[in-house]
Amino acid sequence: QLTPSSFLRIGQLSNVDLNEDIRELETEVPRQRPNEIPHNEKLLSLKYESLDYDNSENQLFLEEERRINHAAFRTVEIKRWVICAMIGILTGLVACFIDIVVENLAGLKYRVVKDNIDKFTAKGGLSFSLLLWATLNASVVMVGSLIVAFIEPVAAGSGIPQIKCYLNGVKIPHVVRLKTLVIKVCGVILSVVGGLAVGKEGPMIHSGSVIAAGISQGRSTSLKRDFKIFEYFRRDTEKRDFVSAGAAAGVSAAFGAPVGGVLFSLEEGASFWNQFLTWRIFFASMISTFTLNSVLSVYHGNAWDLSSPGLINFGRFDSEKMGYTIQEIPIFIFMGVVGGILGALFNALNYWLTMFRIRYIHRPCLQVVEAMLVAAVTATVGFVMIYCSRDCQPIQGSSVAYPLQLFCADGEYNSMATAFFNTPEKSVVNLFHDPPGSYNPMTLGMFTLMYFFLACWTYGLTVSAGVFIPSLLIGAAWGRLFGISLSYLTKGSIWADPGKYALMGAAAQLGGIVRMTLSLTVIMMEATGNVTYGFPIMLVLMTAKIVGDYFVEGLYDMHIQLQSVPFLHWEAPVTSHSLTAREVMSTPVTCLRRIERVGTVVDILSDTSSNHNGFPVVESNPDTTQVAGLRGLILRSQLIVLLKHKVFVERANLSLVQRRLKLKDFRDAYPRFPPIQSIHVSQDERECMIDLSEFMNPSPYTVPQEASLPRVFKLFRALGLRHLVVVDNRNEVVGMVTRKDLARYRLGKEGLEELSLAQT
Amino acid sequence: MAPPWCPCRALLPALALALLGLAAAAGPRQTPALELAQELAEELWSAGLPGDLPELEPECRSLLAAFAEGSAALTGCLGRRARPVRLCQGCHGHYRRLLAQYDSIARAVGNSSESHNCAKSILTSDRLQIVVTLSEFFNETWEAANCANCLKNNSEGLSNSTEEFLDLFNKSLTCFEHNLQGQAIDLSPNNYTEVCKNCNETYTKLNDLYNHLQRMNRQGGESAHSAHLCIDVEDAMNITRKLWSRTFNCSLPCSDTVPVIAVSSFILFLPIVFYLSSFLHSKQKKRILILPKRIQSNANLVNIQEKYS
Repeated sequence: QLTPSSFLRIGQLSNVDLNEDIRELETEVPRQRPNEIPHNEKLLSLKYESLDYDNSENQLFLEEERRINHAAFRTVEIKRWVICAMIGILTGLVACFIDIVVENLAGLKYRVVKDNIDKFTAKGGLSFSLLLWATLNASVVMVGSLIVAFIEPVAAGSGIPQIKCYLNGVKIPHVVRLKTLVIKVCGVILSVVGGLAVGKEGPMIHSGSVIAAGISQGRSTSLKRDFKIFEYFRRDTEKRDFVSAGAAAGVSAAFGAPVGGVLFSLEEGASFWNQFLTWRIFFASMISTFTLNSVLSVYHGNAWDLSSPGLINFGRFDSEKMGYTIQEIPIFIFMGVVGGILGALFNALNYWLTMFRIRYIHRPCLQVVEAMLVAAVTATVGFVMIYCSRDCQPIQGSSVAYPLQLFCADGEYNSMATAFFNTPEKSVVNLFHDPPGSYNPMTLGMFTLMYFFLACWTYGLTVSAGVFIPSLLIGAAWGRLFGISLSYLTKGSIWADPGKYALMGAAAQLGGIVRMTLSLTVIMMEATGNVTYGFPIMLVLMTAKIVGDYFVEGLYDMHIQLQSVPFLHWEAPVTSHSLTAREVMSTPVTCLRRIERVGTVVDILSDTSSNHNGFPVVESNPDTTQVAGLRGLILRSQLIVLLKHKVFVERANLSLVQRRLKLKDFRDAYPRFPPIQSIHVSQDERECMIDLSEFMNPSPYTVPQEASLPRVFKLFRALGLRHLVVVDNRNEVVGMVTRKDLARYRLGKEGLEELSLAQT
Repeated sequence: MAPPWCPCRALLPALALALLGLAAAAGPRQTPALELAQELAEELWSAGLPGDLPELEPECRSLLAAFAEGSAALTGCLGRRARPVRLCQGCHGHYRRLLAQYDSIARAVGNSSESHNCAKSILTSDRLQIVVTLSEFFNETWEAANCANCLKNNSEGLSNSTEEFLDLFNKSLTCFEHNLQGQAIDLSPNNYTEVCKNCNETYTKLNDLYNHLQRMNRQGGESAHSAHLCIDVEDAMNITRKLWSRTFNCSLPCSDTVPVIAVSSFILFLPIVFYLSSFLHSKQKKRILILPKRIQSNANLVNIQEKYS
């Protein structure tokens, strides 16, 4: 049933010079397929590099660690706690800022449009109101999209895929910069105010991570300010721990779910985890939600009330009707199935759209135009729905923020307008809590349908915006519809409260789209403030995930794949046991000798065709053709610092006054090491020698050639490695396994697939 | 419950009967005991001894009677003015008096001793506490109706804005009546255009005043109740609006559908143009494949293929 052509490519791509001992294995292969292909999902981009989660244990590092005494370690520990507290506070403040600005700007917009509509309803000429609404939306979104597209494209989208990748160990360029944070925050505000079908919760996670990464470094390279604090934490290992705390703080600020935040970090970045870290992250989350709470309580005029813990508050679910009985469990599970199917449909549609966008709409100006069009169409669809709706509800006793009367009788408002003419957060809460009978089934059905396509169309635009709230909204709408029809079928039984089904529908839809399990259950539970809902929500999310996974994968994983990120999943693909390190590794490896000529180093580093980051260091051997025994591993960044400081053997002999290079010099250059082109090495210096033995990591991880892929994978994933040297039984370097070598193998529809590398 | 060795079921009813008889016998025995206690208490009372007094002091009794009458009057007033709602206008006097009566109970001190004042014996000496319950009911009703909103600050009479509103309300009702007089009752609903035309001015004024009052109210108040106007005003407005929009059908007609459809279809058409043009004119982004450096072996290919054979 299998055509061999799908595997032929593996052979076709190989054109390597091989060492004597393996040359006999090489087969004659037809050369050179066209090496320019349209973008597809089966690619790995060279743009992405790994983080150095594994410490380079060189002599400098060991010396420094030995100098630090017990008390100093305690100070470091205290600093960690201080940083976590600051992460929490700042994340909470940023969330407050977003919330307050969105509330005011959106309020202003809706008031202007409402006044205009009221005026033109009486006089005629409602098409002007439509134009006004569409133009307002489009222009606000244009600004939001402009800053994202032209200043910081990585701030687009919800940021959760990017943070997921970062925690997985992939270095996404620019992802944790201050500039990204600024653009993200402004972009979110503008896209929510611009009336797109988006939420501001997902981006909070990204914002929290950036804040964490920034604070833990004690400086900002964007602002060129160095506060000379927290220098100990200037490496990927420490930074990533703080980023996971920041992500947790972001979740906690967004949903008022501190435990959910911790579990989110656990679910997404769990391979590097210990109890102390958990406790610290929990601390950061709690501080974050507390900060948000207290600042918002002051802002809303009831200081220290502490009753609005998150950006979105689902409201209280503790009335009599909101209880559930065991008979309802099958109904909830059925809703989970529906959510899974709808989520899969959403993802599949979004997949095609994203593919189209990557292939055809890649110029920034086109992306801005697209975002503007979506904004205008969103407004138009909303307007037309409101215009055509004849569902009027009495205004008395309802809590509608901007009631639109339009052609309803006096004292009534248009029910469709509560759903469309409002920020999505408010609409969700309305759907959960409005008393039964506030919405006509027809209204809800049309709303679900329209919003489904709008949200699907919106996700992936070049604006910063999240998908949580739109998913919740879609789910709440069909869930409520479901609840209404249920109570219709059962002749108005008391237990069929539409609000409860709206909540379950929201959970099912969100679970079907993002496929998070543990953390999402806890987030929903905390956001509703009702622990007894834990069980049905868990069942719903579980069903939605199982059903959804049957069709397509989750939205975030899909986008990670479409971005060609070398993402390592929990485990190696199940059918990969027959592959060994020998087949997985890249070879030959560019090695350096322990005492190497500067010219050689510079040439290797400047070689654009091989953008390697780690170089095995071998014993200096006069016979250069022979691969010699492995002595250590040195990173590109270390070499660049060495070249910059001109740590050459000859110079050390010449001037004794020159100080020894310290670990601090490496840290100061972190994380933006200068490119090799910016380092000037004169012709004379090229002839100098450079001694790497002090700076290399003398104990790199190695595997023999016979190790199986799952074993290599486990080692790589569990230790967070970046380079894994493959040696033969004489300790000679035969190959190197990096993240991209492992991420290539993936379990596809027809079994094990191999992705190809591409320049993007 | 029945012992397992019980041979015949006929025994059970007999047992029940016996128990019943026992209970019946216990009943009459209890009543004389109560009477005895009452007599004892009366004796104690006449002897001037302290005890749990079965009788109220005369002052307290008169206070209680006044409260009872006041609450009866208020209940009657509320009931009579339930539809159309005129609670606040008609019953505020009764309510104020009842409040005063309750206050005098709560504050009154009997002349026997400090610990036995009227407040204690009327308000808190039994489980039911009917006086408290009644007064709570009235207070809650008053709060829910939000009558304070249309009364003057000292709650003596209606506030100026309410007077003005009711005035306009009466005027519009008169206008409606006036314009409908000539017409037969069984007119089809679309023949009310006369009313719509003639009373538009008064109605608009009334509506505007109501909206204005609502806005003022929302700005001034913080608590949940103050979001509403008082029930009299709300109900009057509701009646008028219903007459206006439903009975007379004077609300705005659905107008300018054609321009709305034109504009919206234009906007909806734009993305199609955009996507088509970018599909046709934009250069597709190509990825350059990088050739990986890897050992190629037959074993590799065979390995993978084995799994599918």
